[in-house]
Amino acid sequence: MKNVLMATAATLLATSAMAEVNIGNPMAMTGPIPDLNAPIAAAVDLAAANINAQGGMFADGETLNIIRADSACDPVAAVDAVTKLINVNGVTAIVGPVCSGAAIAQAESVAIPAGVLTLSVSASSPAITTMEDGTDLVFRAAASDAYQGVALAELAMANGFTDIAVSYANDDYNAAIAEVFVQAYEGMGGTITANEAHEPNKASYRSEVATIGATSENLALFSYYGSGGITLMRNALETGAFTNFIGADGMLSDELIEQIGAENLMTSTFTTSASDASTPSFAAWKAIADEAGVPASDPFVANGYDATFMMALAIEAAGNDGREGLSEHLRAIASAPGEVILPGQWAEAKAILAAGGDINYEGGAGNQDFDENGDVAGNFSKSVIVDGAWAAELIQ
Amino acid sequence: MWDAFGFEFVNFYLIPGLVLGCIYALGAIGITLTFGILRFANFAHGEIMMSGAYLTWTVMAIAGYAGLTLHPLVAMVPATLLVILLFLGTDKFFYKPFRKADTIKVVMASFGMMLIIRSAVQVIWGPNQLTFVRGIAKPNSVLSDVSNDIGMMLIIPNKHLFIFAGTVIIVIALSYLLNRTRIGKAMRAVSDSPDLAHVTGIDVDKVIRATWIVGGICATAAGVFLVMDVQMLETTMGFRMLLPMFAAAILGGIGKPYGAVFGGLVIGLAEELSAYPWIGDTPLLSPGYKTGVAFAIMVIMLIVRPQGLFKGRSF
Repeated sequence: MKNVLMATAATLLATSAMAEVNIGNPMAMTGPIPDLNAPIAAAVDLAAANINAQGGMFADGETLNIIRADSACDPVAAVDAVTKLINVNGVTAIVGPVCSGAAIAQAESVAIPAGVLTLSVSASSPAITTMEDGTDLVFRAAASDAYQGVALAELAMANGFTDIAVSYANDDYNAAIAEVFVQAYEGMGGTITANEAHEPNKASYRSEVATIGATSENLALFSYYGSGGITLMRNALETGAFTNFIGADGMLSDELIEQIGAENLMTSTFTTSASDASTPSFAAWKAIADEAGVPASDPFVANGYDATFMMALAIEAAGNDGREGLSEHLRAIASAPGEVILPGQWAEAKAILAAGGDINYEGGAGNQDFDENGDVAGNFSKSVIVDGAWAAELIQ
Repeated sequence: MWDAFGFEFVNFYLIPGLVLGCIYALGAIGITLTFGILRFANFAHGEIMMSGAYLTWTVMAIAGYAGLTLHPLVAMVPATLLVILLFLGTDKFFYKPFRKADTIKVVMASFGMMLIIRSAVQVIWGPNQLTFVRGIAKPNSVLSDVSNDIGMMLIIPNKHLFIFAGTVIIVIALSYLLNRTRIGKAMRAVSDSPDLAHVTGIDVDKVIRATWIVGGICATAAGVFLVMDVQMLETTMGFRMLLPMFAAAILGGIGKPYGAVFGGLVIGLAEELSAYPWIGDTPLLSPGYKTGVAFAIMVIMLIVRPQGLFKGRSF
């Protein structure tokens, strides 16, 4: 009986695998940043749609199928979601976890032990650089905060803040970028007057604000907007504890304007991973995104497209949807040598790969050349309020 | 540099602690009543709070389309009726079939209910955050002027005054209900001993319905007060309050509504005051760990005095 069941299950898996190529896509659909997540998920779907419209996967034109799951920006939910994707759906690879904590947890507990390649769309914690431990199974299409923290410290200096208080949410992403920021800022001669963690999802942060508020009028806030960031900022504004605010990706959302009001955010600046809009690859990406109604310049949206496209290229280059050795192919299609492939050029890439040639994908978010740790370089932008909306400007 | 107003302790630790304590207290009343009368830990209580707040938001939004600006406390009234229906409905279809079964089954049913309600809210209202009132709440100017004249400037936004007043009114109404009305006395009797209450002719089903109604009113009020305080709604906010509310119910003694109120205030104050720089200039406990205070109190209580401060039931 058991054998019959196994055989049936194996046949089912085999038939579904023959018909289409499955990529698992855990995204933070619920949790603290659904607003930021929605356009990234749309970009992932857009990449799959482009690929399927231009001949699909392999010689027989199999469908690329994105199986989405909810990782909720939460380590526990991510482990559940990815376990299901790998064990039940039998996906070839994982493109996803948006948040660093989720990406680290799913890789450590599920994906690496199962030998499945992870390519995160936006996890930026410096801890991800060194976590693979020789397995070469964790990549990301967004730049490490080891760079963004420094960019933020330079920004604080450029704004003339000689002292600053730091408050960070107690999670993998926010604690890591805060640490980089503090080191870089002190290295530039700035004074950190207070450096306190705050627990996400509290109803009130008044005591936190009061504790650090007496030390400086500038606050570097590292938090997700939906799990305390907005509340903490509101408490700080209500009590007049701080005048100037700086922070990173997790806070940069229209939700902040919606809830706190643009008039109260005139002294806030937030950085995020951004694209250099002058490159031909960004122009190609923007054309595709505009046509599909996806916001091309929103945080990590281009990265979402790039990650999906690159993963599909790697599977195409491998010639089958097996999990073995995929990381070598991912490196090969993303970096020189080879014919440059821009976002959307699936048919061209497919033809070159079929002829046995090399390709080098240049994405909308950057050149996407992976280093030995599976990290990419990137650009950052700073956003301030102009006419009631966030206006981004590339940091040079 | 920020001026601490010379009255930092009251404004930034004591008052926020009381506000949080009021919210915990109202939530804990429902938990302790269900625990006392129905004898199970209702995990869905936080989600009921959350759905009450979402319904209130919806009433406000509908009134907004009609050109009316409703205060959340007004919009709360129709929302409360819907929450009571929700409570009675879940009881009829999910908890009643398990009434005679092991407690663990009905606890699991409530756990399932928690997930069902949260997912339903996410489907209906979406996972994004919603907001009650935009912008930031300035302190009540009359109060701060008057108190400033006597040298003790109080910085309390109006929303906190509403929360204090609302909690006091609900607790007074509850104590009238429990002490002066027939159904209230019956509720206390069932809580003390259901079998004895049954043989004296008390209609236990009626008492159970009354429990859900009282619990529903308190849960909606707690949810709406929480949202008035943080000014935004999100789908996991009820769940995040659940454990401190259980801690409050256990601290006060299971089945004791006054204990729940007291426990809620103690937990709320303990969480906020633990971050006050009692010794030296640094916080006594880093504010990042204040959630742990509620658990620490709960664990210590369960070890030292499991029946709680007000001599509730111990399990």
